[in-house]
Amino acid sequence: MHKNISRHDGCTVTGALTVTTFLRDSATIVHGPKGCCHQAVSVLHSSMLYNECFDIPDIFSSAMDEKNIIFGGEDSLNDAIKEALDEDFRCIFIIGTCISDTIGDDIESVCAGFNEKDSVPVIPINASGFLGGSFEDGFISALKGASEIIGENCNFSDKYSDECQIKPLVNIIGEKNLEYEVDANFSEIKRLLNLLGADVNLRFIRNITFDDIQNFNCASLNIIREDTTGDIKRHFEKLTNIPCISSYPYGISNTLEFLKEAGEYLNINPDLAIKHEINYQKEMFESFSDLRGEKISFDSFGFQKADSNLFTEIARHTGIVLDSDGVTIPIPFFTPVGTGGVFHMLSQWRRFING
Amino acid sequence: MKQIALYGKGGIGKSTTSANLSAALSEKSLDILQIGCDPKHDSTRMLMHGQWIPTVLDLVREKGEGNITTEDVVFSGYNNIRCVEAGGPEPGVGCAGRGIIATFQLLEKLDALYGDVIVYDVLGDVVCGGFAMPMREGYAREVYLVTSGDFMALYAANNICKAIARLSKRSKPCCTLGGVICNSQNIEGELGLVSEFAEKINSELTGFIPRSQIVRVSEVNKKTVLEYAPESEQADVYRKLAEKIMNTNPDPDKKPTPLSMDELETLAQKYIKA
Ligand code: SF4
Repeated sequence: MHKNISRHDGCTVTGALTVTTFLRDSATIVHGPKGCCHQAVSVLHSSMLYNECFDIPDIFSSAMDEKNIIFGGEDSLNDAIKEALDEDFRCIFIIGTCISDTIGDDIESVCAGFNEKDSVPVIPINASGFLGGSFEDGFISALKGASEIIGENCNFSDKYSDECQIKPLVNIIGEKNLEYEVDANFSEIKRLLNLLGADVNLRFIRNITFDDIQNFNCASLNIIREDTTGDIKRHFEKLTNIPCISSYPYGISNTLEFLKEAGEYLNINPDLAIKHEINYQKEMFESFSDLRGEKISFDSFGFQKADSNLFTEIARHTGIVLDSDGVTIPIPFFTPVGTGGVFHMLSQWRRFING
Repeated sequence: MKQIALYGKGGIGKSTTSANLSAALSEKSLDILQIGCDPKHDSTRMLMHGQWIPTVLDLVREKGEGNITTEDVVFSGYNNIRCVEAGGPEPGVGCAGRGIIATFQLLEKLDALYGDVIVYDVLGDVVCGGFAMPMREGYAREVYLVTSGDFMALYAANNICKAIARLSKRSKPCCTLGGVICNSQNIEGELGLVSEFAEKINSELTGFIPRSQIVRVSEVNKKTVLEYAPESEQADVYRKLAEKIMNTNPDPDKKPTPLSMDELETLAQKYIKA
């Protein structure tokens, strides 16, 4: 049995869908009973609405019934793939469920059958519902599965080619598509890269097309949103030879280190960018000068271990005093990304302190 | 109507026991239905004089459930015992446990689940909740554990005992432990071991079937012992077993007490000398 099974996020199927459904011209088939698909799509859809994403992604179910459960569901999967191929998708992902895994359906070989004869890739995602682990395991499997689309060579024939020559480009990997701050976090990373004179090549995978992925190798650095297991970094390094930074920067000094590290990988002297960022951080703390001398304490409400160093550093820079009798500040569920993230967090602290 | 189920490890001789038990029961002018639930589908073969009858699941696969009639799946065997084989999916694909319940439901729909005694012959060492379903769904009312002195057979029996213990905790338990049947493998100290096992799980030894050459000879002749050698001592053993089962009315308040792995091992060590 897998450790780290987090039920509030849904099973591996939901995790995988948060990746595959953000490739715009693809379809995803959940191979299992309708219920699995319904349950995963409900979680996905409500989180998307919360993030003001109103598109309804193309998700199908192979709708396994009792007969499939008794005799195996590979035929149903075959039919579902055929049906999806009739439409205009550029690629089709297949996500297995507890049910199809338990009864021994061989999803890979069903997909292989199509890949021999069809030009549209049919890509199996190693998921298996709760049998395969947690939401996060499904998410990682889907990133790995989708990476099969990455072309061998950089396609210099399209709009990317010029930029690719002029400034170094970076791929962003594994954005948390259901996270409320996903675009704000992305803008922050883009701002930092721009400071260095670099830019974003591709968001793998967030609202991109199949053809976009062909340009993956135009980048000279990959930045992963978060890689707690090290699995994502290992996979993409092996696959592409592009160096990897395994996390978005968090907080104050870590953001400066990030600029330094990215600069090294991109062969850019980061000194100017770092100088600029230090000034920017100073200005930001100045705008919170009203908080100087205030007393606060942190509470994680049991959700996560507070990375006290990071929050203590922010408090120190602002001139806030840590005191167990001070105003209780909840540790945010997601750690603030970059200097921009710190700005938003301090605005929240101000509300608590003045509230 | 008595609905009994014989559960036990694969290869322990459940089919032989079930078929001979059904044959013995039929001598009492009782109307018997025997349903084999092993994907090997050899439960009713001796009652059918060696004929492999088509399995319900094969027919479902070929014809679809809606097109199956009682005549397609229920076959009349020795002494008018009605015989059914549930069958199963290909090994490693699909779910046999689910298939068995689907079979029972189909038979119910066809009004074929009737008689004085229904004998369900169920596999019990499969690591699949599906095989406990007949108990949960109220088909297997009285469960008899078929075992020998072999450790793995006892282990499987103990597992089924756990399933019954769990189910009997429900507000409306519908399944009780009838007893333990020892199908002997000629293991030293076997009678003592299995008797003590039965006692320890808060049950009793319903029957001890000695190993006998006549069983094999009957099988070669594609018959049950009751049919091939009705005068033999072995035939009487099965008659006695049938008698005992017909007179057993398990007390629903008497809950089975499965052993822990350690207890089971200690028990086996006591009887099995290296
Ligand atoms: S946990 Fe398993 S059964 Fe439940 S929705 Fe996920 S795949 Fe389906």
